[in-house]
Amino acid sequence: MPAFGPPLASLFLSGVHDFASGEEPTHNEAQGLKSVPSLPVEYHVHRKCSNVAHVMLDICSTYRTTKTTKSGVNVMRILTVTVLLGLSTAAPSLADTADGASLVGQDWEAIVEMARGGEVNWFMWGGADNINIYVQDFVGTILMNEYGITLNQIPLADTVEAVNIVLGEKEAGNLDAGSVDMIWINGENFRTMKQGGLAWCGYTDRLPNNALVNWDNPVIANDFGVPVDSCEVPWNRAQFALAHDSATLPEPPRSIPELIEWIKANPGQFTYPAPPDFNGSVFIRHVFYYAAGGVDNLLGDFDQAKFDAAAEKTWAILNEIEPSLWREGATYPTSINQLNELFANTEVAFTFNYDPSQFGIAVDAGIYPDTVRSFGLVDGTIGNTNYTIIPFNSPNKAAALVLQNLLLSAEAQLEKARPEVWGTSPGIEMDRTDAAAQEAFAALPSHPSVISAAELGKAALPELQAGWISAIEQGWLANVGN
Amino acid sequence: MSDRMRIALLLAPAMTVIVVLFFGGLAVGVMRSFNWMPVIGLTEPNLDAYRAVLSDPDFLRSFGLTLYISITSTLISAVIAIAAALLLRQSFAGRGAINLLFQLNLTVPHIVGAIGVLYLFSQSGFFARMAFHIGLIARPAEFPALVFDPFAIGIILQYVWKEVPFIGVIVLAQMQALGTDYESVARSLGASRWQAFRHVLLPLILPGVLSASIIVFAFTFGAYEVPLLLGASHPQALPVLAYKTYTDVDLAARPEAMAMAVVIALLSALMIWAYLRATRARLRS
Repeated sequence: MPAFGPPLASLFLSGVHDFASGEEPTHNEAQGLKSVPSLPVEYHVHRKCSNVAHVMLDICSTYRTTKTTKSGVNVMRILTVTVLLGLSTAAPSLADTADGASLVGQDWEAIVEMARGGEVNWFMWGGADNINIYVQDFVGTILMNEYGITLNQIPLADTVEAVNIVLGEKEAGNLDAGSVDMIWINGENFRTMKQGGLAWCGYTDRLPNNALVNWDNPVIANDFGVPVDSCEVPWNRAQFALAHDSATLPEPPRSIPELIEWIKANPGQFTYPAPPDFNGSVFIRHVFYYAAGGVDNLLGDFDQAKFDAAAEKTWAILNEIEPSLWREGATYPTSINQLNELFANTEVAFTFNYDPSQFGIAVDAGIYPDTVRSFGLVDGTIGNTNYTIIPFNSPNKAAALVLQNLLLSAEAQLEKARPEVWGTSPGIEMDRTDAAAQEAFAALPSHPSVISAAELGKAALPELQAGWISAIEQGWLANVGN
Repeated sequence: MSDRMRIALLLAPAMTVIVVLFFGGLAVGVMRSFNWMPVIGLTEPNLDAYRAVLSDPDFLRSFGLTLYISITSTLISAVIAIAAALLLRQSFAGRGAINLLFQLNLTVPHIVGAIGVLYLFSQSGFFARMAFHIGLIARPAEFPALVFDPFAIGIILQYVWKEVPFIGVIVLAQMQALGTDYESVARSLGASRWQAFRHVLLPLILPGVLSASIIVFAFTFGAYEVPLLLGASHPQALPVLAYKTYTDVDLAARPEAMAMAVVIALLSALMIWAYLRATRARLRS
């Protein structure tokens, strides 16, 4: 891997937004980290797309998007954007707000006025109809009615396409008339944007609704281990939770050390999927954080010395509990589905998931008993956040700011949290919103088997950078799972 | 248009598919196994991947496990298939129905069979539940581990269930073509039933048994879905290990995955060669 240059690195784990299917993004986001490198064909296409002459980049990305877009309208939109990009040099737009530095000096009312009558090109993964409908109908309507801004949603099959457009524009010297105004992003793509100087930073405190964001929460202040540094704005959250059957186990252990004791006292009733299963890997990271004495020391780039110290303790713990695991640890489930099956058949007492809504779905399907409940850990469980980002060369920064502010509003976050609309966790703290919004949020139908995001979010741990994650997985295979 | 030309044209679509898709993919795979992947800057072919794979104890354990699964499944299947064919060639009431039942699961996909084995033989499966209800076991863990187990019992069970009718049908057809004349002659000359089977019938059907067994061996050696669903997490069957390596986040692992795939392909090629020899022997006999 060290032999590869930045373009490859950027697409390498680009999957954080590669929602291959129509599933809920928070879930897929999690899975995406693993799924992309397994697609050699995609890899070639990316490679081709990131290596052709810079001028070709737009065409390349447009082609890719066109190919994967269902609706012809969307194709037209992309073409329009591309054409507009070509025209924009000839006829400067009426409200060009490419100069971010002078924009942050303005007060909010002035920014809204500058944005009025303009448009904003939001590039986002477009594989789920419910999300597209929410963005176009709900967000788009408010944006037009209240601010006169036209929202152009450009659906992508993979977020890296948008990152590649911005990268290509920068390399081609297009520094203030880019075609991308905003991207739905997290993880590796954010790191690429930040490392490549492709993100516009230092503006988030200009947004009135920024007050609703809890930047003290490490899960929000760090995007897969990379500090956000005011370069993007949170939109949704996902967080790991465990599930147990309250009928047979009323009081589950609520921390990693308690869980370890419980496993030793109840041999054969706990196991976790072997990596590279994504959920098994997240479980091992919880033990790793515990062994390292907290996650604060692990944020940032991969550090071999820190890793070795924590890894040695982690393997010792996991090897110590191994004889008390299901099948005496002679074998591990190879996927989260196998663990779910064992849990459903009461062979083991726990299952877990990065997407706790899965527990409710399984109960409703009759796979788990009604008495299944889910819970977090007192020291916190690992969560991740996805964001919206504004490229450095967006010519419509004012409109993008208005859109970001709208997305952060209690109204928009509440609508998005409705199970029938999307059902995703808010990126803001709902208890910072007004009484009416809080009441409506509290009144949202919740599933008794699914722990509320608010409850879970009280103790949240950040994700690590990709280098750590693969080192932990490989270390586990060599030291525990052999 | 000459005849040769017409034949070439008619064969072209099929040959294009075979040559381009199969041999094309094989060629790319072989090149990558030699660390030749210009697209990520690997332009000097070498044997590093093979060296790494062949000295990796994980690979050797997987290789051993896969060999054990294939040999055991094939042997058990062949023995049961011959015994079943001996019974089925006799005439008895309801033979047609039994014959149909015997061949029924030829149409069931392996993956469905694997799920069936899981539902029947897992520690919370049908038999474990029966054992619980008659008081033999108190907890799922007390039921013997027949799936995800180190001896690959679940995998072998599935293969035997699926391959017995496959070998059986071939052997039965051969027995019926031969008739019982040779055995009758042997019996009339004083051979026991066992001697007639051992020294007369078995040598006659052996080429057929052999060629069917080779197909079964080659298939079980390269099959992915059954060990994936029923196998332990470690060691894994060779195709499962190869795919896991292929999907590793580290692109540098690709050549090793390809080297494993080439080893599997080589062994399968060896099997095809053995199969062709066995069929030729059968034709001669």
